[in-house]
Amino acid sequence: MVNTNKQLHVIYGDGTLGLGGENFHYIFSYERGGMESMLVNGREWLYRTPKPVFWRATTDNDRGSGFSTKSAQWFAADMFSTCKKIVVTVDGKTFDQLPIAPFNNRFSNHEYAAEVSISYTYQTNTVPATEMTITYQVANDGEITVKAHFVGNDKLPDLPALGVQFLMPTQASSFNYTGLSGETYPDRKQGATKGNFTVKGLPVTPYLVPQECGMHMDSKQVTVTRDKTQNNADHLDQPFDLTFEKASQDFAFGCLPYTPEELENATHQEELPLAHRTVLTIYGAVRGVGGIDSWGTDVESKYHLKADKDIDFDFKIDPNVE
Amino acid sequence: MQADLNWLDDPEVFRVNQLPAHSDHYFYADSNEIGHQSSLVKSLNGNWRFRFSKSPQDRPENFYQPNFDSSTFDDIKVPGHIELAGYGQIQYINTWYPWEGKIFRRPAYTLNSDRIIPGTFSQAKDNTVGSYLKKFTLPESFQNKRVVVQFQGVETAFYVWLNGEFVGYAEDSFTPSEFNLTDKLVSGENILAVEVFKRSTASYLEDQDMFRFSGIFRDVNLLGLPEVHVEDLDLKPVVNDDFKSGKLDVSLELTGKDLSGATAELSIIDPNDDVITTKSMAAGETTTFDTIDFSKVDLWSPDTPTLYHIAVTIKGQNGQTLEVVPYQFGFRKVELRNDKVIYVNNKRLIINGVNRHEWSATRGRAITLDDMKADIKTMQANNINADRTCHYPDQIPWYYLCDQNGIYLMAENNLESHGTWQKMGTVEPSVNVPGDNPHWLKAVLDRARSNYHLFKNHVSIIFWSLGNESFAGSDIAEMNKYYKQHDQTRLTHYEGVFHKPELKDQISDVESRMYEQPENIEKYLQNDPKKPFLDCEYMHDMGNSIGGMNSYNDLIDKYPMYQGGFIWDFIDQALLVHDNISGRDVLRYGGDFDERHSDYEFSGDGLMFADRTEKPAMQEVKYYYGQHK
Repeated sequence: MVNTNKQLHVIYGDGTLGLGGENFHYIFSYERGGMESMLVNGREWLYRTPKPVFWRATTDNDRGSGFSTKSAQWFAADMFSTCKKIVVTVDGKTFDQLPIAPFNNRFSNHEYAAEVSISYTYQTNTVPATEMTITYQVANDGEITVKAHFVGNDKLPDLPALGVQFLMPTQASSFNYTGLSGETYPDRKQGATKGNFTVKGLPVTPYLVPQECGMHMDSKQVTVTRDKTQNNADHLDQPFDLTFEKASQDFAFGCLPYTPEELENATHQEELPLAHRTVLTIYGAVRGVGGIDSWGTDVESKYHLKADKDIDFDFKIDPNVE
Repeated sequence: MQADLNWLDDPEVFRVNQLPAHSDHYFYADSNEIGHQSSLVKSLNGNWRFRFSKSPQDRPENFYQPNFDSSTFDDIKVPGHIELAGYGQIQYINTWYPWEGKIFRRPAYTLNSDRIIPGTFSQAKDNTVGSYLKKFTLPESFQNKRVVVQFQGVETAFYVWLNGEFVGYAEDSFTPSEFNLTDKLVSGENILAVEVFKRSTASYLEDQDMFRFSGIFRDVNLLGLPEVHVEDLDLKPVVNDDFKSGKLDVSLELTGKDLSGATAELSIIDPNDDVITTKSMAAGETTTFDTIDFSKVDLWSPDTPTLYHIAVTIKGQNGQTLEVVPYQFGFRKVELRNDKVIYVNNKRLIINGVNRHEWSATRGRAITLDDMKADIKTMQANNINADRTCHYPDQIPWYYLCDQNGIYLMAENNLESHGTWQKMGTVEPSVNVPGDNPHWLKAVLDRARSNYHLFKNHVSIIFWSLGNESFAGSDIAEMNKYYKQHDQTRLTHYEGVFHKPELKDQISDVESRMYEQPENIEKYLQNDPKKPFLDCEYMHDMGNSIGGMNSYNDLIDKYPMYQGGFIWDFIDQALLVHDNISGRDVLRYGGDFDERHSDYEFSGDGLMFADRTEKPAMQEVKYYYGQHK
């Protein structure tokens, strides 16, 4: 299947970098600070640009132990981090500046490359500020390796979670994953069985007060299946899917119809907004949920997520999985 | 005797004309009835006439009189909570009393006051009243029998009249109350009147972390007692030291106008349904059979919940059967040995337990047999081998189900006085009851006595628990003493003595703590511990929780004196309510009924959601509880 002659079609736009291939087309925005379009087999997978995740919705145990209060900076960082730097590399050559006008006047509609990489560096509004860089390495067959690099700082409070969030335009009908059964966390995964699991719909665990839920630790792959698009010209009603795979290490993920902030804001399940979209978050690191009590005792220290050291994680998005 | 409203204010009045507590056996007119409806029991469940009043002073005082016009009364379903029928505000509150911030109250006979405080409950704006009326006609099979009315659970204090005459008064919401109606019955239609008060001094003893309800919330039965009736059945099965053989003592308390000429027969049926022993002797008020020896016994345990059966048949002087009483029993030996480790059947005890409130999202604590059976199934499917009946005795069938399905029980008394000693997290026992208070002693001892007599024959019970979070004093020490005097085959449990170390040699066979951190448990176990350790509550499963269970599990392998614990808790307390905005039936928790003070979402700490579906964390519990089955 591998066509070694296959090349990425590179479109040096005025505000974006387009990358095209047989069954995919990606648009990386300079303006919006992230990947704006991920078209696979004609279907759009992005509603808004992917972003770094620094928050998970407060659990009852988090609230009781004061964790969310102590770590509230990360809530703001999750909502309001901004992209401050973008670097584009084509076939190993890094541009000194973004290839926009007038620099891009030298290109044509016939530009090709074997590998393109674009990295976005986000600055947090924590005190002190820190950074997270998300790099998309796109291979000639469209496979994207996403690498995230978090810069640690020992003046920052513990993190609730660290990940990359993909907001998809419509609600998924199911997802399939290889990993652990049920809802798992670093301190609650011994009872899970390993296997391949399909979850219908996007269930939100109905805790009385909506909170962090639906985490899947130690995953090797997750495939999201949708059967609706927002595209008025798309009349096919066949389900379609997209697969995220492990790169150098297993990952954790959550696939829910809500962002952490939406969950955070509701006091009852019925107050959650009508579900329109899919929020797939791939996590590189997760804090435990704890369980000793719900009024003061913290999660055991070995399950804390310290922000003092750099954290790296990666995963792949593969448009070619059948 | 006339009813007196002031009893509500007096902790020393808690049972008036009530029959003494006795074993929870079923009884039948003949053996063909076993397994079916007994012709000697008539249920009074169903529609009753009902009037709700906001306070004692608003109640229809004369409603019990036969000529009272109740045409303006409503219908209410019994059993059920008054609040869930739409009368009276629903309130969830954890440790404080439900009147916090509304009424200043102190328990009678505290703060150096050697008296009751008149009007505390009898003239209280927050003491709602349910006036219940039920008409009944005695069935044919009850003719010429002594007739008893049995209320299996009424919250919190109630008065009973029959045909206009005062019958009696009872407290202790979670324990059956029985009254003899015989001399007040008329032929044809009888009118039973029950006046239920939401609050009384008993409220101080029933400050459990739960939705606060009132009303007749468990079954009501009429009992038609035969000429000679087994009032109490006392079975004492003992496993011999070889753990292979055993013996059984059987003693009956019989009542009836004339016992002469009557005989009591018993047969013992082994687990294979073979009759292995029969005995017969003349009936007396106390009928004690010679010890029955078993050369070989199959032991009862969670893995093999082997049950034997006994059938007691009372025959009249002409040999006719007057009554048949079947019962199940089992052989198991609970020992606290010199190594300070608890053994059951010669094996170290490991508690893989849960605390279980009786709960249904639609019926509150008025749960059904199907709910109980579902709970047993869930426990078995997840390696849960023990239940603490927090913090009150459960409905009777639960104890039978635990015998049959191999669930250890810590049978807890109906006692929690949290709000009298713990104030915003600090220990401040200046008005603690029962404490050392002589005026509160009789009430709590009565609760211990009722719990013991009702459930003493259940093999699944391995601990008597004195209560929950009531601090500690000489009154609770007396409760402990009561159990020690009456039962050598089980251990006692009480956590609150933690706050009064000087009473540790008088209260509780185990060191019990709640929500203790694993490292502190380890400190206790490494520091010349005097008693084996149990977590009576641990792994607080509120919302998304149950992380780090391995730290407790590790202690089991490391320390023989660590004997496991009971997760808090089994099922969320939340109520199914229709939400007009979303158009959905949704689960609501504390504070959702405009009630204040409330403790809000703390009502939901279960391994199951309130609709009895399992939370995701259950797979973790199943795993760890499967490690030391």
